[in-house]
Amino acid sequence: MGIEQLRGASTAMRIAGLAMAVSLAVNVTPAAAWTYKEAAEPYKGATIRVLDEITPLQEILKTIVPEFTAETGINVEYELLNHFEVINKGQADMLSGRGYYDAIMLHGFQVGPMLSAGALMAIDEMVADKALMNPDFDEADMINPAYATTAVSGGKRYGFINWNYNQIYWARGDLLSHPDEMAAFKAKYGYELKPASTFKELRDVAEFFTRPAGATLAGETLESDFYGIVMEGIKGGSTFLSLWGNFMKSYGGDIVDASGKPAFDTPENIAAIKTWAELWKFAPPGMAEYSLIDVPTVMGNGIAAQAIAWSDFVLGIDKDGVSPYSGKFVYGPIPHKEGMVEARSVEAEPSVTVISTHTENPEATFLFLQWLAERRQQEALLKAGQGGVPIRESSWALPVMQNGKLAGLFKAMESSLEVATGKPKMPDFYELYDVLTGISQEIGLGRLSPEEGAKKAQAAMLDICDPCLLN
Amino acid sequence: MQRTLTARDAFRRKTLWTALVVAAAAFILFPVIWMIGMMVKPTDIMFARPTEWLFVPTLEHFNYVFEQKFHHYLLTSVLLGLISTLLVVIIGTPAAYSFARFEMRGKDDLFLFVLASRMAPPVCLVIPYYLIFARIDLLDTFIGLTLAYMTFNLSFYIWVLRSFCRDLPAELEDAARLEGWSRVQIFRRIVLPLLRNGIVATSVLCFIFAWNEFLFAFMLGGKAVKTLPVAIPTLITTQGVRWGEMAVVGMVALAPVLIAVFFLQRHIVRGLTMGAVKG
Amino acid sequence: MTDVPIEDMPNQGGPSKAVVKRQPSHGEPVWYPYLLMAPAMITLTIVALLPFLFAVFISFHEMKFGKFGDFAGFGNYVELLSDGRFWNALGVAVLFVAIAVPLEFMLGLTGALVLSRPIWGRSVLIPFLFIPTMMAPIVVGLLWKIMLAGSWGLLSYNVIEPLGLAGETSIFASPDYALFALIFVDIWQWTPFMMLAFFAGLQALPINPFRAAAVDGANPIQRFFWLTLPMMTPLLVVIGLLRLIDAFKVFDSIFILTGGGPGTQTEMPSVLAYKMTFEFWNIGEASALAVVVWVLFFVFCNVFYQVAKKKLNAF
Repeated sequence: MGIEQLRGASTAMRIAGLAMAVSLAVNVTPAAAWTYKEAAEPYKGATIRVLDEITPLQEILKTIVPEFTAETGINVEYELLNHFEVINKGQADMLSGRGYYDAIMLHGFQVGPMLSAGALMAIDEMVADKALMNPDFDEADMINPAYATTAVSGGKRYGFINWNYNQIYWARGDLLSHPDEMAAFKAKYGYELKPASTFKELRDVAEFFTRPAGATLAGETLESDFYGIVMEGIKGGSTFLSLWGNFMKSYGGDIVDASGKPAFDTPENIAAIKTWAELWKFAPPGMAEYSLIDVPTVMGNGIAAQAIAWSDFVLGIDKDGVSPYSGKFVYGPIPHKEGMVEARSVEAEPSVTVISTHTENPEATFLFLQWLAERRQQEALLKAGQGGVPIRESSWALPVMQNGKLAGLFKAMESSLEVATGKPKMPDFYELYDVLTGISQEIGLGRLSPEEGAKKAQAAMLDICDPCLLN
Repeated sequence: MQRTLTARDAFRRKTLWTALVVAAAAFILFPVIWMIGMMVKPTDIMFARPTEWLFVPTLEHFNYVFEQKFHHYLLTSVLLGLISTLLVVIIGTPAAYSFARFEMRGKDDLFLFVLASRMAPPVCLVIPYYLIFARIDLLDTFIGLTLAYMTFNLSFYIWVLRSFCRDLPAELEDAARLEGWSRVQIFRRIVLPLLRNGIVATSVLCFIFAWNEFLFAFMLGGKAVKTLPVAIPTLITTQGVRWGEMAVVGMVALAPVLIAVFFLQRHIVRGLTMGAVKG
Repeated sequence: MTDVPIEDMPNQGGPSKAVVKRQPSHGEPVWYPYLLMAPAMITLTIVALLPFLFAVFISFHEMKFGKFGDFAGFGNYVELLSDGRFWNALGVAVLFVAIAVPLEFMLGLTGALVLSRPIWGRSVLIPFLFIPTMMAPIVVGLLWKIMLAGSWGLLSYNVIEPLGLAGETSIFASPDYALFALIFVDIWQWTPFMMLAFFAGLQALPINPFRAAAVDGANPIQRFFWLTLPMMTPLLVVIGLLRLIDAFKVFDSIFILTGGGPGTQTEMPSVLAYKMTFEFWNIGEASALAVVVWVLFFVFCNVFYQVAKKKLNAF
């Protein structure tokens, strides 16, 4: 089908997803009687081990895993570890050939390195196998382009999407709708104060709300400094990913060209970096040490007016008893470049659970992964968790996602996931990311100008890989 | 002039020095005291600005810690710490004694070998360990971690205890030998009792090192053998960081060591001299 | 009360040493000392030497992503030694150790001298003073994050930022201050260890030379430099060397507080090795780094050992 050729534009991604579904429909004749019980018959009694990352959603998932065993007779040891453990130990397990786990959750960026190490088993044959694949699975319902760009490489599928980390725009609604502030903003910038939808608005709102202690904010005197925006800035974390996914790509740039050659010092990228670096002026002074831990902490404690943050972390902050500002927050899509809404891009980290090449039970594992991604399980999960980050388009319509206090957040997520893609498959992703984060920090801290930084980054990239894409 | 110091002066001086030490301790331990407060501080005002110094305490953080079975990890940590320390004492004591007491061929080289085993950054030994353990099924076992902990604890133990052994009076042993005591008797009835302080002090330090170790426990442990330091980062969740819970676990992790040091300090203070002070 | 002789014996000075010289094996057969050592040597061979040799083996191979590739000769070493990041990491470590260890040393000694004055409730104070050393490094890292994190850290907010101490940025985010902040954390954690060890040493000093010096009219400062310091030297050397080796390998707190940043300002060799291993999965080069660091230490310790043994009678 040439799925890979279609990558690039977001509409093409959707087509890709559909194309996969079509090919699926052709392969599978409607067999009404397909059940997990029957499909699992040959693998009854097998035990599979699955490693996933601990989140409240996965903890709920863990409670429904026994249902799969009851249905199929396949035993599942479903292990939850934290973010770093899943990456380090999961990779160590696959790369060392230990093969303790049959399936392991991979963040999108891990897929490239693991593919190039030959650690992942493609699932296409099993998808095509009528005995194994539920004809009603509805693969086209998986959120795209995230699914097609993350789980598919070189025309092969490596798993179903597992979850969809994504970033959103997060702001203090109480401040943005305060009459005094609205009047002052209008007077200064000549347009209405509202949640930012473009980079220019993001910058203006950030500048407007950056105030020293003693100044007035929303009618009250500030006891300490207040800032216009907060983002990640630490070495590691998603500092560079946010610059890349949210800014550079929205300017029409990227870090590699179509052939995979490093292309960091393009005018588009430099313009994007300028926009990003200027925001540092309106951010808390310690932003270069801020990780995804600090950003929600800063927002939750009322230190900044806006943030670009991971939406799943917001779930933990916008709760009564956690932040005094809970209920006052508003959410929106990540802003885009003025006049370039069609190029908008959002940093996201869709993840897949992959089957290790060392597994002895690929079919049983496949059945389990398929079962997890079924609509039934996904809906049960979101209901039990009172919302969350969905992996299926149909999940957006669930009452729990539409109503309730966090409906605005879910709306923003949906917008992010309309354009969110997986990371390009880069074998040297980690080296690139480490070096480019360091350079980004230097630009943010004003030690390098955007032009110098871009030049340095280009040289550093060429030093690591050329071309940088797999295949 | 010194002899004219009155009891009153001595009392004053003592009080003054005590006040100084207490003030210094309070200053040094301020972050720890703050962390103790965090154990019972409600989440929504944890980092409020301006800082909330007074608040109504809550026990919610403790509940979560118990729900998440942190007491299991505590037990694992205690067991692993005790087993690995005990093994180090059993294996290391005769070696330290031998190094201190006897002259022999190649002694300096052997001693450097002991020292050298502590020099490589542990990060770099983790992968060889992982690959070997994966092959012989020692990942996620007490035995595996106990072995790994010996890389840093055994050499430390021998090194430190050796300086202590050096100052044991050889005459006692020589006399016992003339009396016809066996080697085992000499070791058990003379050497070990005299070494008690040194052994306690050094093994408490070894226990602390094992207790706090992170990297080996993280990579070579797993579901079955999970220690407290490894469990702590699980409180950094995608739903934010559970700071209160982290404070609870951090302080709970401190408690057993603090209690041990409290009761064993007499031995530790004596033992820590490592017999290295020359009169 | 059985341990009374222990306090007295060492203080008699020399005799045990003299006996050792005269009677090296105390009438025991030649194999006896080796027998006593055997379990430890065998254990160390298994737990330390074999994994290390394995690392050496890996360092001579192409090993990316956990799979053995071709024999690479010194390829990994060439790559490592021509990598600016490695030299940067060494430089950072040398700076770190050169500042942290002497300061810990001096503060520890001062603390020990103060602590050995007559004070009330010393046995209660000592365990509490020892707390920083007893805490897991990972907790120490998080604790100082809570204290010094930009804007929301307790001390940042209440002290550093009102006074403008860190300028435009926060402590851990500042290219100029981040390393010093980490050194500060290390000093906080390890000075108590030094202090307690030195305090123990002071407690064990024999009283007679001090009486004699007092009779001769030596003032406290003279007594410190003429008596205390020389007698403490062996202890100071052992503790100092131990701390030096450990300070060079600091990892947990850096990883939590700065991740090696900003840029590569705080990237110590162990942090670089971690990245090479678990992020880049370039195990070959990481192993080469281990071997190089090990060789540096080995040479250093060897020289140090010989000198200390001859000049300071420290081992």
